[in-house]
Amino acid sequence: MNKMDYAVEMRGITKNFGTLTANDKIDLFVKRGSVHAIIGENGAGKSTLMNILSCVHLPDMGEISIGGKKVTLRNSLDAVKHGIGMVHQEFMLYPELSVYDNIIYGFEERKLGVFIDKKACVNKINQIMTSYNLSVPLDSLIKDLPVSILQQVEILKVLYRGANIIIMDEPTSVLTPQGIQGLFNAIRFLVNAGKTIIFISHKLKEVLEIADTISVLKDGKLVKTLPAAQTNEYELASLMVGRDVILKANKRELKAGEILLKVENLRVKDKDKVERVKDISFEVRAGEIVGIAGVAGSGQQQLVEAIFGLRAPEAGSKITFDQKDVTKLGPREHRMMGMGYVPQDRIGSGINSKGSVWETAIMGYHIAHGFKSKILLNFKQIETFTNKIVKTFDVKRQKNSDSIRSLSGGNIQKLVVGREFLQDNRFLVIEDPTRGIDVGAIEFIWDKIIDIASNGVGILLISHELNEVMQLSDRILAMYNGQIFEAGNYGELTEEEIGLLMLGGHADEAF
Amino acid sequence: MKRSKQLFKLNDKFKLNDRVYISLFKYGVSIVLFILLGSLLIMSQGVDPISATRVLFEGTFGSKRAFGNVLRWTAPCILTGAAASVAFKAGVMNLGIEGQVLLGGFVAGVLGAFLELPPALHILVCVIAGGIAGMLYAVIPAVLRLFFNINEFITTMMLNYVANFLTQYLTQQVLAGGLEVWGYVNMQATPTIQKSAVLPTIIPGTSATLAFPVALLIAFAIAFLYKRTIQGYELKQVGENLRFSKTGGVRVVRSFMTIFLLSGLIAGIAGGIEVIGTYKKFNTGFAAFYGYDGISIARIAELDSIAVIIVSFIWAVLKAGSMQVERVLQVNRLTVTILQYIFVLFVAIDYAGIYNRYQDRKIKKRIREGEL
Repeated sequence: MNKMDYAVEMRGITKNFGTLTANDKIDLFVKRGSVHAIIGENGAGKSTLMNILSCVHLPDMGEISIGGKKVTLRNSLDAVKHGIGMVHQEFMLYPELSVYDNIIYGFEERKLGVFIDKKACVNKINQIMTSYNLSVPLDSLIKDLPVSILQQVEILKVLYRGANIIIMDEPTSVLTPQGIQGLFNAIRFLVNAGKTIIFISHKLKEVLEIADTISVLKDGKLVKTLPAAQTNEYELASLMVGRDVILKANKRELKAGEILLKVENLRVKDKDKVERVKDISFEVRAGEIVGIAGVAGSGQQQLVEAIFGLRAPEAGSKITFDQKDVTKLGPREHRMMGMGYVPQDRIGSGINSKGSVWETAIMGYHIAHGFKSKILLNFKQIETFTNKIVKTFDVKRQKNSDSIRSLSGGNIQKLVVGREFLQDNRFLVIEDPTRGIDVGAIEFIWDKIIDIASNGVGILLISHELNEVMQLSDRILAMYNGQIFEAGNYGELTEEEIGLLMLGGHADEAF
Repeated sequence: MKRSKQLFKLNDKFKLNDRVYISLFKYGVSIVLFILLGSLLIMSQGVDPISATRVLFEGTFGSKRAFGNVLRWTAPCILTGAAASVAFKAGVMNLGIEGQVLLGGFVAGVLGAFLELPPALHILVCVIAGGIAGMLYAVIPAVLRLFFNINEFITTMMLNYVANFLTQYLTQQVLAGGLEVWGYVNMQATPTIQKSAVLPTIIPGTSATLAFPVALLIAFAIAFLYKRTIQGYELKQVGENLRFSKTGGVRVVRSFMTIFLLSGLIAGIAGGIEVIGTYKKFNTGFAAFYGYDGISIARIAELDSIAVIIVSFIWAVLKAGSMQVERVLQVNRLTVTILQYIFVLFVAIDYAGIYNRYQDRKIKKRIREGEL
């Protein structure tokens, strides 16, 4: 293929944030006049890659060519100059200003160098609207308009700035099915007019419908680029969620006891009042591991927060723990009743990164199990409990009074997991227990989870690693878009079948 | 991948070993800049900085009276410093210490003047009532924060003005009965307190009162609270990572309330003690510098209550000494005040962050040049 046919060539793009490698030597080639989809789970590095292309971030390594010419993009004005425009997932619009003001802002047509030439601006916008079949009310305020119109405003804005390559970050996540069809029509129109679209999503059906080429990202790496016509949902699902190394857990026979946790008709809204958990019911028995598999952002966070009392569910929801209604109780009461929680965001919720090892180690323990004195800290007990975690979970640290920041990510994870596992809890909510730790430690923590369950502890496991859920769970639930679907008992369904349920594929047909 | 891992290893190593050096560096640089700038400011007024320093120390350690004066100033500095650090440590930005000091002082002044009680009891009542007044005044921003989600940063600052004008109004219009009644009499203060309410001195013939040991006691109590008690542990965690504490089962709302009340209580006590110990009456607006002194001291001491004691002492030396320098050498005493606050700015600079960024850039450059 002729080199000039690529609108964008990215070679060896690497970007690190702290200890996280968000993009690892990614090569991406986008054909001119095509729709190129980039798919991957949340956190796979899609947005970072696009932010590098649109110069929100500078890459640590790698080079970018636009239209066959190597370019150095220093700031977002450079990106605009090279015809790159991005429609962000969160709209970048001023709610108090009119559509017109939002579009011309920063790129006004001028008279005498200082005055805005409103007539020229409006003419330019109208011309774009007619040639790309878009229509938005220019004088309305942004805050009065529905999201589907706002998206058109964003598209219009990048076109106004002269974009030839338009990046759309999860554009369908805010749209209704009708809105999505409208967007797809607009995309087809733009492509026919010679524009290039880079379409970011994790919804497979949509991607297969609109894209010409699909690139799959996973854990910051490019897994594969393939033509949309030659693939299907199964293949994409396994590329997205599959693991290279399949670890094996030593699963034991299930000895389930009485029902410990019962969730009935749970509905939870997030802070933006969007319903993220939609009428979920399930139960977990003592000694049972129930795994919830799902792409990040399917509502797991809100589900867990509601179960542990960190977020109030909607009226009509009911959560029972050990035959007591705990729907309205807070985390302190949950801990007192013997429920432990390993949070997914270990830096944000799991540890106090400004404190010492022991300060993190006794959090929760000091409430549910307490010290001999109700008032004073008992440093002997603190030392004993911290040492127990350190010893049982092989946490590498020098002193318990060391700053927790001196521990590596894996050791921090072991400390947090150990803290919750060693408190004689009767029920554990575990989120991504092995995120970002090495293979040896993964197997170790898996063994501990199975161990603790066989001692009669009920476990709700939420993981973004499908293999982890499949290896550990007695019963698997797939979560998609705030709903859960039964995904069989241990070993009943294949990775591809569960993967498909997680991605909303054939969900209605299957059940 | 290998390269990037190496990059982080280098970074980590640096962050651990050099923290102590950064602290030393921070205070070292601040002190050097402080001395340089101070010398310049003093020289600009035609005075030799060395003789100014000599006079400053004569005015603070030269005589019993002078030293008593230092202790007199140390006490309110410790108390307001403790009130600020106790709040900041738990993540509560109480900038309303000035207002809480004023209300505490006013209540103590009124009770000291109008109640008739035996000596020791009278003092106790004044101090405790002052503390409670400061505490109740802190309930307002606490409620606004917890139930209406209004940032205490703004409310506490605004409430300082309310406290200032409220006590002024009460002093002039209510206690003094308004302009018609008092005419030319001093209306900027409440009546002088009774002898039974006056806080005794600890060094006879000086202005050092019981306030100093009381302040020490409170500072030690705060240190004990944070280092030894479960409540203190929880408060510290809330201040350092709210989500971590919430997940761990700490009652965050209650912690916030406790801290507001505690901080207000200490500030109120500071006000009460100042009025019955030093001024013997409530002067309107007497707390103008107290709030920000406390905040500055807490900031320099990095919220450690034992360090607050040391910093307060130095602060008091500068305060008391600057008056002597003004008397003897005609150097404006505000010079020292300016320097005190500039010192706070120097200490507030994020030296670690600057050094980190510099190191990061150096390593990245080496990677780009292919050395690693």
